Amino acid sequence: MAIRSFFLFILFFSSSLSPVFSLYEDQVGLMDWHQQYIGKVKQAVFSSQRAGRKRVVVSTEENVIASLDLRHGEIFWRHLLGADDVIDGIDIGLGKYVITLSSGGSILRSWNLPDGQMVWESSLQGPKHSKSFLLVPTNLKFDKDNLLVVFSNGRLHAISCIDGEVLWKKDFEAESFEVQQVILPPGSDLIHVVGFAALSQFEMYQINAKNGELLKHESASFSSGFSGQVSLVSTETVVALDSTGSILLTISFQDGKISSQQTPISNLVEDSLGPAVIIPSSVSGIFAIKTDAVTIFIRVIGKGNLEVVEKTTHEIAVSDALSISEDQQAFALIQHASSEIHLTVKLAHDWDGNLLKESVKMDRQRGLVHKVFINNYIRTDRSYGFRVLIVMEDHSLLLLQQGEIVWSREDGLASIIDVTTSELPVERDGVSVAKVEHNLFEWLKGHMLKLKGTLMLASPEDMAAIQSMRLKSSEKSKMTRDHNGFRKLLIVLTRAGKLFALHTGDGRIVWSYLLRSLHKSEACQSPIGLNLYQWQVPHHHAMDENPSVLVVSRCGPSSDTSGVLSFVDTYTGKELSSLSLDHAVVQVIPLPYTDSTEQRLHLLIDADKHAHLYPKTSGALSIFKREFSNIYWYSVEDQNGIIKGHALKCKCTGEVADEFCFDTRDLWSVVFPSESEKTIATVTRKLNEVVHTQAKVVADQDVMYKYISRNLLFVATVAPKGSGEIGSVTPEESWLVAYLIDTVTGRILHRVTHHGSQGPVHAVFSENWVVYHYFNLRAHRYEMSVIEIYDQSRADNKDVWKLVLGKHNLTSPISLFSRPEVITKSQSYFFTHSLKAIAVTSTAKGITSKQLLLGTIGDQVLALDKRFLDPRRTVNPTQLEKEEGIIPLTESLPIIPQSYVTHALRVEGLRGIITVPAKLESTTLVFAHGVDLFFTQLAPSRTYDSLTEDFSYALLLITIVALVAAIFVTWRLSERKELQEKWR
Amino acid sequence: MAFSCKNSSKFNGFSSCIKMVMVGTSTIMMQQRTLAMEASLCVKKSKKKGADSVTRPNSQISAAMAAVTPLLLLLLLSSAPSFSSGSRNAYNINGRVKIPQGLGTKGYALPGRMSNVKVLLNGGQNITFLRPDGYFSFHNIPAGTHLIEVSAIGYFFSPVRVDVSARNPGKVQAALTENRKGLSELVLEPLREEQYYEIREPFSIMSLLKSPMGLMVGFMLAVAFLMPKLVENMDPEEMRRAQEEMRSQGVPSLSSLLPGGARN
Repeated sequence: MAIRSFFLFILFFSSSLSPVFSLYEDQVGLMDWHQQYIGKVKQAVFSSQRAGRKRVVVSTEENVIASLDLRHGEIFWRHLLGADDVIDGIDIGLGKYVITLSSGGSILRSWNLPDGQMVWESSLQGPKHSKSFLLVPTNLKFDKDNLLVVFSNGRLHAISCIDGEVLWKKDFEAESFEVQQVILPPGSDLIHVVGFAALSQFEMYQINAKNGELLKHESASFSSGFSGQVSLVSTETVVALDSTGSILLTISFQDGKISSQQTPISNLVEDSLGPAVIIPSSVSGIFAIKTDAVTIFIRVIGKGNLEVVEKTTHEIAVSDALSISEDQQAFALIQHASSEIHLTVKLAHDWDGNLLKESVKMDRQRGLVHKVFINNYIRTDRSYGFRVLIVMEDHSLLLLQQGEIVWSREDGLASIIDVTTSELPVERDGVSVAKVEHNLFEWLKGHMLKLKGTLMLASPEDMAAIQSMRLKSSEKSKMTRDHNGFRKLLIVLTRAGKLFALHTGDGRIVWSYLLRSLHKSEACQSPIGLNLYQWQVPHHHAMDENPSVLVVSRCGPSSDTSGVLSFVDTYTGKELSSLSLDHAVVQVIPLPYTDSTEQRLHLLIDADKHAHLYPKTSGALSIFKREFSNIYWYSVEDQNGIIKGHALKCKCTGEVADEFCFDTRDLWSVVFPSESEKTIATVTRKLNEVVHTQAKVVADQDVMYKYISRNLLFVATVAPKGSGEIGSVTPEESWLVAYLIDTVTGRILHRVTHHGSQGPVHAVFSENWVVYHYFNLRAHRYEMSVIEIYDQSRADNKDVWKLVLGKHNLTSPISLFSRPEVITKSQSYFFTHSLKAIAVTSTAKGITSKQLLLGTIGDQVLALDKRFLDPRRTVNPTQLEKEEGIIPLTESLPIIPQSYVTHALRVEGLRGIITVPAKLESTTLVFAHGVDLFFTQLAPSRTYDSLTEDFSYALLLITIVALVAAIFVTWRLSERKELQEKWR
Repeated sequence: MAFSCKNSSKFNGFSSCIKMVMVGTSTIMMQQRTLAMEASLCVKKSKKKGADSVTRPNSQISAAMAAVTPLLLLLLLSSAPSFSSGSRNAYNINGRVKIPQGLGTKGYALPGRMSNVKVLLNGGQNITFLRPDGYFSFHNIPAGTHLIEVSAIGYFFSPVRVDVSARNPGKVQAALTENRKGLSELVLEPLREEQYYEIREPFSIMSLLKSPMGLMVGFMLAVAFLMPKLVENMDPEEMRRAQEEMRSQGVPSLSSLLPGGARN
């Protein structure tokens, strides 16, 4: 009975928290932060409007189109296009519309410049795939309507700028015609389309811009062929390279006549340089070619006479031309010199005279300048001033003006590859603390204000004061470890090869480091970062060491290129060391062992299936040898539909005599029939997950034992036909099979088929359950299923006496080679939204109930109690089950708006959700990343182990004072009464 | 607005004419079939699922009801000809997102300002945005059954199942997947507003009393004022006896506990 009342008590509490995560509007920003990014800028167009705020419109490699404030770099508006809808070109039309061409030139959209509202959208089709060009002529009018000229998919379109209607179109159907340039000579109604045909034919079409009529078609043949791009040096001259890359062809087509001149590069530059490529630029009269080491700027004089103007071995970046007056064009050049960059602005026809020459100090961690965009303004003394927008190697965006960095944006954070966390230093006497606690009076005053707030007595000014006081709380952004474990460093690796450390308190960048090992070098052509691992987490033996992380990267996109390891100190952000490996890195297995200096052991599997142990120390080796026979791993071969289990065999044999290298053997393999099944998702449990108890007490005083194994793998396969998009397959031809596989023995513990379902599958594995999300074609809705797996071999350990007398098998060793007796329970529910990511909360001891974090298609993160995905839910739960907290079964999972973790924000382009336990058991830290970053603290069962932030100490004090006063009053009263009694 | 919806106005005219034709001919037959299909689908599902079957009767009931009343049926389901055929077996889906003026007063997405609304096809395969008048279109979509979702902060939209027929362009259905309601036109409206924040209750005496501290104070007051009343009602004889007993046991009274009590 006592137990039952206890359950009732629990129920009373749990029922009161039905929307578990809920937030008042004024609590936004207390526990969470949100940062908006755009990604590496591809193209930038300055809005030249005189009135209104200065803006720059950019398109990025993250497929974002955004309008930025030119004064501060803030985002006015931003849109993230679909993954297949890659932006090809942007421009501004009529000064008020942003025009974007995307999807390989087949979608043209116009956006309102001030607010980012889409104005119109046109779909452009064409006969064949080709390069696409978007041109916005300023002077081409058609019935008072400005024209846009778009060349895409082998077709030239003229489109109205106001409503997106196609006015005329012209096909270029010649089989081999490859368009290279579309030219609009200013002040005429002609369009020139130039390109190559059949490798050696130069073609020029002249078209009437009014109606699309073909006026002239000329072609000339060049026996040496062409290579690479062409550069436009005037409206009637292009420069190309021949197929060997050693002869420059200057082709002019004045008045429709093609004439050409060939100049070998060796005539211009004495020393031979090897094959060159043309760097496309739009500066008239000048073009650049680049060989391995040298960049050469060449001027075109008259009709095809070439002259070298500059030769440089520095890294150099050139902007496009900017017309500053009728006949003058300016462009910007940026050169690197150790810790500075030199910016020069030159006029196109006057190489030697500089309009502007500035040097700007540049942080080395930003790397090289990748792109330059130039804009001018008129100074108060009516002379021209220039500002340049530069894109750096680490994807950051900076605005330079008058020799200074006006603003910078860390847009590398828009493309995070991997995330890990690190503890902050322990607070010691020597360690400086951000701010000293303010005095008692201020503390009390703050709490009085808060009390006023809770009693709804505060004036708007008071409210503002309260809000700013809460947001600025110095407590959360200190650089030391806190008691609750809320303050940590988030170490993120971005696609640019840069590591950032973000403080969880306010999201600021503590340090950043551009990995030197990820720089391009002779040995490593196109290095890419892969993963981050915690390398050294000192807590017992090596307290004085700083923690460090391991960055695994490799030298090329394919998995058999050699790997690179870097070790970075997480307190200082300095690279401790880096290792260029002589083997590839296919798989990294962090082992649950540490050596004497708390370095974690990692096993790297290479392309030849050798295992390499890191760190390469003898201590690590001896630990490893002890656990030699207990190390198992698996690999998934997606193309063949094979999952294999591996174990270690012996020391490497053969030429590499290295005692840290081991041969491996295959233990088992699961082969899925390729004609009926295709693997689309594999998920395992998180390595560092903590499970509090194996036993689960169910309503009728019964105990069930969770089957908890780190070696469980969830695999989802679909019918090969159904692996495409939704709507491409009928329910009859599509199915989805879910497996639970033991990765040590290869035994399939559970298999379930969902007929009429298809992917994409998003799954998460935790404790003894897996939850997965897929599409049900029959109902045409998304579904989520849960599978829970229980250990039957321990099911008879229920008798208390058995446990007391030790006649149970709980301490008997578990071997995965003995056949496990397991039972599974599963259930399915409908879910409204598509998902992008799924995660589960994790806490320090695993006692707190779990919540699923669902990244929805709308880029929000929804927290859903695991209780809603409990296979024991029934339509009419009994009284006992209700007391246990089982929710009556419904066909679909509820979406409670208050349980959106991201509340009214969007994590644009959401890719991943990471949960990290805090030291406080009730709380978990959640980091969601995509183009935006979002961080918050979650308490899945509310903060039962600490007072909440809005706990009113003042109210407590007042209550105590009131109680003491009441005691004294009643004492007086009782004394008086006693006296009266005595007098009577 | 006048210039931006040229295409859409064209499609509007198209839609109304098709609808008339449809109503004139064999609409009812066809719709009954589709309804029957939906209903049977539910049954199948419930058979398979067992436990779930009991929880999904409302759709069957609504389907049955609709079949009984053809008038309602006409309103509920009629083919949405919002699809114009393109080239090469590819179609365009045109539709409209409408956020009623009454909603949205709380203001995440201001009424009329819809620049942050996205329309997604098949879980993000295609993404498009709204024109100022709420119209959207997907281009070059193959025939088949598709899913359209609307993402708008502050509103809950049901995903929409859209069938694009290859054999008979124009004969297409759209239905909300949340409540299996058919759409006569591809006009998507939010099912409800989403309130992401808890609303702070205004200060009231009741809430203070209901709080744990309030209850504590209330209980103490009750003890302090009601207990003496109870004591008063007792028989004086008994009372004296009880007091004697208490004195003999030496239970300290409140007044004796306090420093002032020592004086007596």
